[in-house]
Amino acid sequence: MTNTVHSNGHIAIQANNMHVYYGNFRAVKDITLQFPSHQISALIGPSGCGKSTVLRSFNRMNDLVATARVEGEVLYHNHNIYDAGVDPVEVRRHIGMVFQKPNPFPKSIYENVAWGARVNGFKGNMDDLVESALRQAALWDEVKDKLDQSGYSLSGGQQQRLCIARTIAVKPEIILMDEPTSALDPVATLKIEELIQELKKSYTIIIVTHNMQQAARASDYTAFFNMDEDRAGYLEEYNETNELFTNPKNELTEQYITGRFG
Amino acid sequence: MGKLDNQPQRFFQDEDTGYPQGDAIKQQIDVRNRRGLWWRIFFMLALLMAIASLVALLATIVNDAFGYVVVINREDPERLALDVVAMQLLSASNTLTSEDDNELADGVAANPNGIGFFGNAYYQQNRDRLKLVAIDGDLPNEETALSGAYPLVRPLFLYTTADILSNNQAANVFMNYLLTNVNAEIEQVGYLPTSQEDLTFSQRNWIRANANLGLQPGQWAAINPSGILGNFTIAGSSTVYPLTDHMLAAYQAAGYEGVYNNQSVGTTAGIAAFCDGKADIAAASRPIQSGEFEVCRKNGRFPQEFRVGTDALAVVVNAQNDFVTNLTQEELQQVFTIAQTWADVNPAWPDEPIYRFIPGADSGTLDFFTDAVYDARLSDLSKEELARLLATNISVGRGRALEREQRFFENALLFESPDLWNEVCAQPPAARPTGCTAPVRSRDNIYDLLMTEVVKPDVVKTYTLLNSVLNRRAIQAEAAESYPNGDLEFRAWVNRDFVTNAQSSTPELAGVRTAILGSLFVIAVTIIFSFPVGVGAAIYLEEYAADNRLNRLLQTNINNLAGVPSIIYGMLGLAIFVRALESFTSGAAFGEVTDPTTANGRTILSAGLTLGLLILPLLIINAQEALRAVPNSLRQAGLALGATKWQTTWHHVLPVALPGILTGTILAVSRAIGETAPLVVVGASTFIALDPSGPFSKFTTLPIQIYQWTSRPQAEFRNIAAAAILVLLVMLLALNATAVFLRNRYSVRM
Ligand SMILES: Nc1ncnc2c1ncn2[C@@H]1O[C@H](COP(=O)(O)OP(=O)(O)OP(=O)(O)O)[C@@H](O)[C@H]1O
Ligand SMILES: [Mg+2]
Repeated sequence: MTNTVHSNGHIAIQANNMHVYYGNFRAVKDITLQFPSHQISALIGPSGCGKSTVLRSFNRMNDLVATARVEGEVLYHNHNIYDAGVDPVEVRRHIGMVFQKPNPFPKSIYENVAWGARVNGFKGNMDDLVESALRQAALWDEVKDKLDQSGYSLSGGQQQRLCIARTIAVKPEIILMDEPTSALDPVATLKIEELIQELKKSYTIIIVTHNMQQAARASDYTAFFNMDEDRAGYLEEYNETNELFTNPKNELTEQYITGRFG
Repeated sequence: MGKLDNQPQRFFQDEDTGYPQGDAIKQQIDVRNRRGLWWRIFFMLALLMAIASLVALLATIVNDAFGYVVVINREDPERLALDVVAMQLLSASNTLTSEDDNELADGVAANPNGIGFFGNAYYQQNRDRLKLVAIDGDLPNEETALSGAYPLVRPLFLYTTADILSNNQAANVFMNYLLTNVNAEIEQVGYLPTSQEDLTFSQRNWIRANANLGLQPGQWAAINPSGILGNFTIAGSSTVYPLTDHMLAAYQAAGYEGVYNNQSVGTTAGIAAFCDGKADIAAASRPIQSGEFEVCRKNGRFPQEFRVGTDALAVVVNAQNDFVTNLTQEELQQVFTIAQTWADVNPAWPDEPIYRFIPGADSGTLDFFTDAVYDARLSDLSKEELARLLATNISVGRGRALEREQRFFENALLFESPDLWNEVCAQPPAARPTGCTAPVRSRDNIYDLLMTEVVKPDVVKTYTLLNSVLNRRAIQAEAAESYPNGDLEFRAWVNRDFVTNAQSSTPELAGVRTAILGSLFVIAVTIIFSFPVGVGAAIYLEEYAADNRLNRLLQTNINNLAGVPSIIYGMLGLAIFVRALESFTSGAAFGEVTDPTTANGRTILSAGLTLGLLILPLLIINAQEALRAVPNSLRQAGLALGATKWQTTWHHVLPVALPGILTGTILAVSRAIGETAPLVVVGASTFIALDPSGPFSKFTTLPIQIYQWTSRPQAEFRNIAAAAILVLLVMLLALNATAVFLRNRYSVRM
């Protein structure tokens, strides 16, 4: 099983023998996985195998689930983010997240972007920050004349880009995306995919997707998860995307990416 | 599938799918629809029932809050105001007053600058020496009197009772003789005849007292006076005197053989004598007043009114006066009061003093004149005038008591002698009456005193709104019949005075100002206490509390507390706020106790906190619900940006939940406003007329007030209770409107 990847050598975040439990139920087991920085890594696998769970473990969003418990370690800059002294707020400040359904704040577009920066104590020019974040999210031209309108006045795809802009504005190192395009139409999806390619220059991106084409065309690395008979998710195969899609080492992987199960 | 044939297209094959097939499908759908229809009808009926009961509730309240009332004033307030005018007339310079109109006529006749007014008969007797003055261009005569163009036209009355008529034959036959012949004779005296209608009405009164004659109303029989014996006395108006005198002489000439006594003493004195039993018939140049009527009734005499003629009051000047031929009403007002000289009234007239000859204070003519010429309302009078009225209409003893309570004027005493006052106020503070130090009474206060002490409006009969609308005629007839001295008026029990007046034991004067203020203060405390605490607790439970056994227990308890009867909260409030925290809730801990009666902790603060406890569970549960309705994605969005929990809650969760929280709060507060039982336990004051001034004041609230009023026996209390309920409803509506406003203002669109 391949779970280490050697690219330019920089690892943004890595999980070592990570198990995640919901109460007594072990949702994922023994994940060991490294994500190279400034690359796009895709997590794929059948429904319920624990992709979202794994993703949420990387910025401690699982803390919101009262019953969730993480064993093993998640190393970020050589620190285990689950160490006792680590404040999840700080983790999330560096590892942002974009959700499946666009969830802008019920506030103005400007405020949607500025809020995260403000609560994190941003000292610079807020207008500039908002503009650059919206530009990076490829939304600026569409909203620059209506920054004071509600975030909900935008279309679904625009809302999702707003959510990305909002995440960018706090300048994270890693952006986790949980099926960010599943609620969008193909055109909006394509736009987000292009955007992700653009973002790769500045951020490390980990994306969960059900869309094989998306994983194949938009990601550099792909991790395939599967479930054992106890419904516990585990990492089946992890490799460069090209490699994994053209030359899967694992039979299950091949069956999955060719649509024969999942 | 081939081409369509005439058969309806079959979408489903006739295989056994477990579902109905063919026509059975339609039947089955019909059954389902019918079942839905029944439920729909049931829900509609339920809604109708709810609406009907609400409408019925409101209708009952409105029915009691409006309607006709019969008010009997001990003193007619307009009359009181006119008394002030009369006093001005009597005290004007160069004014001679007399109850004897002959004296007045002689006075004007003898003085070239004289002017006076009296019954037309006296002018007729002195035509050569006097000159009649037109008023607003009209001279008094039958035509102007009938058309109403001449303002000083008044009815002339005789009053007697049915008892007297049936017991005193001489008086009875005289009345018969007079009612038979007066219209034929009256012009000789100088007065104008009565309309046939009024005369018939008077005759009907006589017929009723002489039921034994078997006359039907409308019929009339003249009785021959010849040979009638017995004596009787007439006393009253000097205006009517010439008429009675003339008729008595004719009565005698027609054969009456008894002795009569006709006294010209003025209407007021005449009616007093009649009510005292010193006269058999009272002569009056104005209708009997309600106060006089009451005195009569207490003495067992029920005066009956006989209209006997009409007087067009004559305003006359000396025959030599060549400049006054006409006076406007305004000039007339000045001539008898503030003008000193003729030139004061009209610059073209000589600068010589006016000499006034007017009827005295006991005369009906003076009352009539002031009534017809001057506009006076009690509410327009100055503080001094009101005080003077009060002084002339209450006993000195009562006046002293009032003055010791609170003085009337800064530098004058109205009732007390200065020596006694100084002596009383020199006592040590504890024994000293409040009047020594309290600020002086305001004009409005004196006005209120005049109402309570003198006018004493008494609602003797009330009618519901429904009754008032449907049976107006019958009510008018009944009121005229049973309360001839009362005023029938349509009253909205809820009116401005009701809202602004303080509590009073007289329902006519009682208001809800104190109760409204009490309710507002109590509710303010309730909100200030329970809103932050309730929302805070809800935030803790929803956002922070771990799902452990302790917190679940807490939650269950809160849910149960919401169902605890409110009286229990009253007992809790009594134990905690009134008893245990007495020094805090009475303000003693802050050195705030000025009124020793609030030292027991039965204060607005205690009441507000008790109600706060009462609605706290409701607030918590409701706020929790509102917080729970906020989508989790919002919390995740905030947290994923590196915000803390509190930042996320404060900036995103609370604003979204706020409209829901506000709605629930308003509902809870509405319930608190309407609460009675716990406040009774905590110790609402049963009667306070003093407005609350802060959290440490004694209190009463609207529902308490309503509760107390509904438990009083007098009918008027039911009316003011209904009025107070309307006020309460308006308060609740206002509160809800505020809530809607706030909700729209702060609601965030998702
Ligand atoms: N909050 C939770 N409490 C309990 N069990 C959970 C919770 N969230 C997820 N699970 C369980 O954990 C397992 C993994 O769920 P997860 O949402 O991570 O799957 P997924 O791979 O993201 O699926 P999908 O592709 O459908 O989104 C599932 O069996 C699921 O039932
Ligand atoms: Mg998922």
